[in-house]
Amino acid sequence: MNLQPLTAKELEYIADSMSNEDLLIKQCTSAGLTCTNPQIRQVLQHQSQVHMQHYQALLNCLQQHQPLAPTQPQA
Amino acid sequence: MYAPQSQPFLPDEDLAHTVLSDLKRVTREYATAATESVCPTVRQQFTQLLNTTLAMQGELYNAMSQQKMYNAASPALKQEIDKQLKSYQSTQQKTNQFVQQRKSAAPGQSPQAFGDWAYQPAPQWQPPNNYM
Repeated sequence: MNLQPLTAKELEYIADSMSNEDLLIKQCTSAGLTCTNPQIRQVLQHQSQVHMQHYQALLNCLQQHQPLAPTQPQA
Repeated sequence: MYAPQSQPFLPDEDLAHTVLSDLKRVTREYATAATESVCPTVRQQFTQLLNTTLAMQGELYNAMSQQKMYNAASPALKQEIDKQLKSYQSTQQKTNQFVQQRKSAAPGQSPQAFGDWAYQPAPQWQPPNNYM
């Protein structure tokens, strides 16, 4: 596996993506409960699970890179 | 006054549209993140999230379309397509001429075939011997 330390930009994108996925988990969960149309409800309930997996994947990515990060600013 | 418990917070259609537009936005953000990643592992992760999110957007759109929640855009007129087709065929011809003219100055390159849509990666870069 080819791991390189995260750039500041990559860190921003991962953090923003976790915010996005978090919002989608909540949206799909509540919409999946209130939605009266059965087909839409089924899709939303399924997708809320997938967004939870996405969130976990992003979290894992962050954890994976944590040990590589320098503690001092690099020249 | 509170709405009765049985009243949904938003109609089905609005709920689905809200999620759909967020999926569209997140798809774009994953594409940007993948193109701006340095670490190959991070790029691969964003690419995978991009593909899955794109598939989910398509899945929700199809469900909404089947439930008549989405007004399909009206079809483009034939004469409009003809106009664009003519214009861009002419552009293509001029650009091909441009490419051929420039290439004839640097011969030895075989012409590119355009029939195959699978992306063929560029040949492996070999630095010249006096490169260092």
